[in-house]
Amino acid sequence: MIKLATELAARYGSRGWHNQRPDLASVQIDLSRLHDALAWLKDNMGYTHLSFMTAIDNIERGVFTLTYTLRNHAWNDGKGHSLMIHADVDRSKPEVDSIHRLWGQAWTYQREMKEWYGIDFPGSPRVDEEFVLEGWEGPPMMRRDFDSLAYSDATYAERPGRVSHDPETYMKEKLYPEAEA
Amino acid sequence: MDIKDFIAPFAVWKRAFEKPFTVNKPIDERPGAPRYRGFHINDSARCVGCGTCEAICMNKAIDLVPVDALKPDGGDSGLRPRVDYGRCCWCALCVDICPSGSLGMSNEYLWVDRDPEVFRYTPGVEAKPWDGAELGYRRADGYRLLEEERVDMPELDHHEAVKSFLELVRGYSRQQAEKEADRCVSCGVCVASCPAHMDIPGYIRAVREGDLEQGLRLLYETNPFPEACGRICTHLCEAACSIGSGRSADGTPTDPVAIRWLKRYIADQVELADYGKALPRAEAPTGRKVAIIGAGPGGLAAAYYLALLGHGVTVFEKDEAAGGMLRYGIPEYRLPYPALDKDIAWITSLGVRIRYGVAMGKDLTLVSLYGDYDAVFLSTGLTVAYKLDVPGDKHPRVLDGVAILAAATRGEPLGLGRKVAVVGGGNVAMDAARTALRSGAEVDIVYRRREVDMPADPEEIMEAKAEGAILIPQAIPLEVKPAEGPDAANKATFVWNLAEMVQKEPGKRPVPEPIPGAVVEKTYDSIIAAIGQGPDLSYVAEGDGIEIRRYKPVIGPDGRTSRATVFAGGDLTNDRKDAISAIADGHRAALAMDRLFAGKEA
Repeated sequence: MIKLATELAARYGSRGWHNQRPDLASVQIDLSRLHDALAWLKDNMGYTHLSFMTAIDNIERGVFTLTYTLRNHAWNDGKGHSLMIHADVDRSKPEVDSIHRLWGQAWTYQREMKEWYGIDFPGSPRVDEEFVLEGWEGPPMMRRDFDSLAYSDATYAERPGRVSHDPETYMKEKLYPEAEA
Repeated sequence: MDIKDFIAPFAVWKRAFEKPFTVNKPIDERPGAPRYRGFHINDSARCVGCGTCEAICMNKAIDLVPVDALKPDGGDSGLRPRVDYGRCCWCALCVDICPSGSLGMSNEYLWVDRDPEVFRYTPGVEAKPWDGAELGYRRADGYRLLEEERVDMPELDHHEAVKSFLELVRGYSRQQAEKEADRCVSCGVCVASCPAHMDIPGYIRAVREGDLEQGLRLLYETNPFPEACGRICTHLCEAACSIGSGRSADGTPTDPVAIRWLKRYIADQVELADYGKALPRAEAPTGRKVAIIGAGPGGLAAAYYLALLGHGVTVFEKDEAAGGMLRYGIPEYRLPYPALDKDIAWITSLGVRIRYGVAMGKDLTLVSLYGDYDAVFLSTGLTVAYKLDVPGDKHPRVLDGVAILAAATRGEPLGLGRKVAVVGGGNVAMDAARTALRSGAEVDIVYRRREVDMPADPEEIMEAKAEGAILIPQAIPLEVKPAEGPDAANKATFVWNLAEMVQKEPGKRPVPEPIPGAVVEKTYDSIIAAIGQGPDLSYVAEGDGIEIRRYKPVIGPDGRTSRATVFAGGDLTNDRKDAISAIADGHRAALAMDRLFAGKEA
């Protein structure tokens, strides 16, 4: 593992290698070298399986952190090893190289992330089609600045007959209506 | 053509007898996962209707609605959350935040109906098939969005405290107060339980935001004794606080917000010299004059609000200083005199005049006031201590608890001796016991019922015991006898009968019944009777036009007696017998007098 960490750092400038478990490590790579690094891991280092792909909205740092989980099934006599590659993309211009030519199924993840985070993967098949949110017109809803209540208010009609009560006011009406303001 | 292409269509048949992934409803069930976030459930008996679920809901899916079977009371608004599943996004924040822990989610997720209006209901009130579901989402153990424990109040160690009259409770720092204020969810359930209906969420918000002048302004809207009440209030609000309605992981109740200490924090932090910047000044004089009898919290509260409205106020006080029971009945380790003086100084700064050493009936009569004043407020309190009412209770070593506390206030020598018995279970008894402890005595507190039956505040009982008082419960006084042996003239022997508690009538509190033969005798240097006080209404003459029933002036809801221009309040008429109730009485009477003067009422 140390060898892989060193070599990945030398070739692609990766940093922050962290062994989370004996069979799971994570590492950070610059976005510009991400595609090459993934290709090298797949073709040369046995990480043939893309098992997961997601993003995290690190709004405080102004980036989305993309996370690719690769798996080397042969490692350690078939016990396997997973490697999570993190790469930050600028939140104001979230465009990332598509990896659908490395792993065919990646287009599904990328379409999902386009819809939920607004991260674009130019060239990825059907990336602009709806994924699960039929008829969605609001901003991408997994972004942390998405205001769920404002969206609901703007999008859905108020159900007629709904009325709520403030506990303090209601108790005053019921228990001491004579008190003056 | 490849042979594989020929066989392929038949290959799917190998799955024909496997269990399908689809569900054959209603023959097969497919329950939600054990912690699935399905339809809501609510334990309506535990829910306090605080609306924190509604406040946190990101989609406004929750309304608080009245429930016919529930009446609002102390700590329960009588409202319950209703969920609109057209908006709910199943995030479960409502479950995670719920202060009482009553709200949960079942793992039921199937509900089919043609009428869209039904997908809105009040869990725990409208019966649903998933009510009482064992499975489903609950707040995970150890996961709390609300702080369960209040910020510890720095206090003197009990061994240290008993050596002097230094104030026990030292008050919050800014950091502590803001942290404690952060625990409040601003539900407002507490406001109804406060006799003065103070704007509790408002002044806690002011603490949180560091705007103490705004806090002070809100305090004075309903209570001109924030320094005193910030220390000795009976804090019914804290019993009603929704934050105290939950259970910690170990099953103990969660701590209510320290509302009283936050009130004290505001008043302590603003200097008297700065009060004028925050608080309103009196309106232009109206020419109306009001006489107030008794400068206790009730009388002075009435004086404050009358003065604010521009009415001239004269307070007649029999003692040499103002404050009533706050000064003469509460020891300075609970309410230091400078704090009380600060409250009173602001009231007198509005032009309230206090005439000291004027006793009603002796120096002044009601009739003489009728001519000189447009209205009168009676707040003379309960000044006559009840006797033990046993043979020998006139023995010179039998003392009166309130008189002992007043003597301590005046700095007079108490002369209690080394062994002291205090008879009674109220706050006066606890304070007399603790005052005796501070004068170096060994103290027994003799009470006729059990400790749980004591009317004193639990913290006073706890502190009296921590400071070294010995509690002798279930002891019925029988007799006070002259002592025997050396120095007998300065001692008395107290005789009591141990009792067992007997449930005589179902639903009523048990009654102490003497155990035959279980008679105890003990000789004391002093026996302090603190079993309650009654009013002294000897100043009310028959011709004064004030109807008195059961030793109290009869009053209407606004405090008015049977004579239109005479009002009464405080301990004299109020069964709660605490400062905040007296203050509320005074405020109410002041507003009623103002209406009277404006001719809005005859």
